[in-house]
Amino acid sequence: MLDETFREFVKWLSTTTLADFMHGQWEWPIAESLHFIGLSMLMGTIGLFDLRLMGLAKQIPFSALHRLIPWGIAGYTVNLLTGICFLTAEGNQYVYNPSFHLKILSMSIAGINVMVFYTTMFKKVRVLGPGEDAPLPARIIGGVSLVCWLGVILFGRLLTFFRPPAFHWCWWC
Amino acid sequence: MEFTRWIESTAFSDWIKTSPSLLAFPFFLVLHAWGMGLLAGANAALDLRILGLAPRVPISAMSRFYPVVWLAFVINAISGMLLLIGYPTKALTNPVFYLKLACIAAGMILMSWLRKNVVVPNNLSKSNGKVIAVISLLVWAVAIISGRLLAYTCHYLLADLPC
Repeated sequence: MLDETFREFVKWLSTTTLADFMHGQWEWPIAESLHFIGLSMLMGTIGLFDLRLMGLAKQIPFSALHRLIPWGIAGYTVNLLTGICFLTAEGNQYVYNPSFHLKILSMSIAGINVMVFYTTMFKKVRVLGPGEDAPLPARIIGGVSLVCWLGVILFGRLLTFFRPPAFHWCWWC
Repeated sequence: MEFTRWIESTAFSDWIKTSPSLLAFPFFLVLHAWGMGLLAGANAALDLRILGLAPRVPISAMSRFYPVVWLAFVINAISGMLLLIGYPTKALTNPVFYLKLACIAAGMILMSWLRKNVVVPNNLSKSNGKVIAVISLLVWAVAIISGRLLAYTCHYLLADLPC
C-alpha cells in the first residue's frame, strides 16, 4: 500500500514542470557540471578540514581553516538542489538503484558524523592553535567524514552501472 | 584516426571497454571523480585563501596540502590515460577534450606560479596574485564543465561508430 503510493509519487514527479525542464537539450549536462563543481568545493574545503583533523598541515589553526567551511556548505547546497532536479526528472533511475541507496547511506552517516562533531568536539578543536593535534575522537570523526564523502562520490559515480531494471545485484531491493 | 583505431584494436583497450568488472572502467571513472574533487577543490581553497577569505589561515602552512594535490593530479593523469585508451577516438576527435586539457595545463601552471610567488614566500601582496587566483578558479571550473560535456559533445564513440 505504502509501496504503491511511493511508486505513484515517483511517477508523478516525472510529470512535473521541473522534470520537463530537465529533459531539455542542455539542462541535464549543465546540472551535472554544477553537481561536479559543488562536489569539488565540498572536497576542497571539508576534505581539507578532515585532513587537518587527521593530522596534516598542523600549522593551520582549526578556527582559521574553518572559515572555508561555508564554501563547502555552498557546494553541498548546489548538489542538493541539482540532485533534486535529477531525482525529480528520472526518479525511477534512482529510487530503485542500489548504488543510490548506498550513496544516501553514506550521506546520512556523514550527516550524523558532522552533528557528533559539532555537539561534542568543535569547542575543543576551535581553540587549538598552530602545531596542536586534535583529540583522538576528533581525528576519528575527520577520518569518517573523509571516507563518507569519498563513498558518496564512489556510489554517485557508480549509479550509472546499476540502472534498473538491469542492475547487477541488490539483496535488499 | 588510424592511430586511435589501432589503440582501440589492442587487447588492453578492449579489456577497458568490455570487462564486466566494476574495478575496470567504472572504477577508473570513480578514481577520476575522486581526483577531480581533491585537485580542483584544493586549488579552489588555495585561491579563496589568496583572495582574502579565511584570512587567518597562515598562507605558507597551506603548502602542506600540495602533496595531496599532486597525488590527486597523478591519480587523474593515470585514470585519465586509462579512460583515453578505452575510447581514444571519442576524446581525440572532440575539440572540447583539448579545451579540457588546456584548462588543466593552465591550472597546474597557475598553481605552480602561486606556490612559488605567493604561498611559499608568504607574500599576499605579490602583484597579480589575486588576478591569478581568480583565473585559476575559472580554469578549474571550465576544466570540470568541459570534462562533463565530453559525454554530450562527441562525434565518434569508436573509430567506426558515430556517437
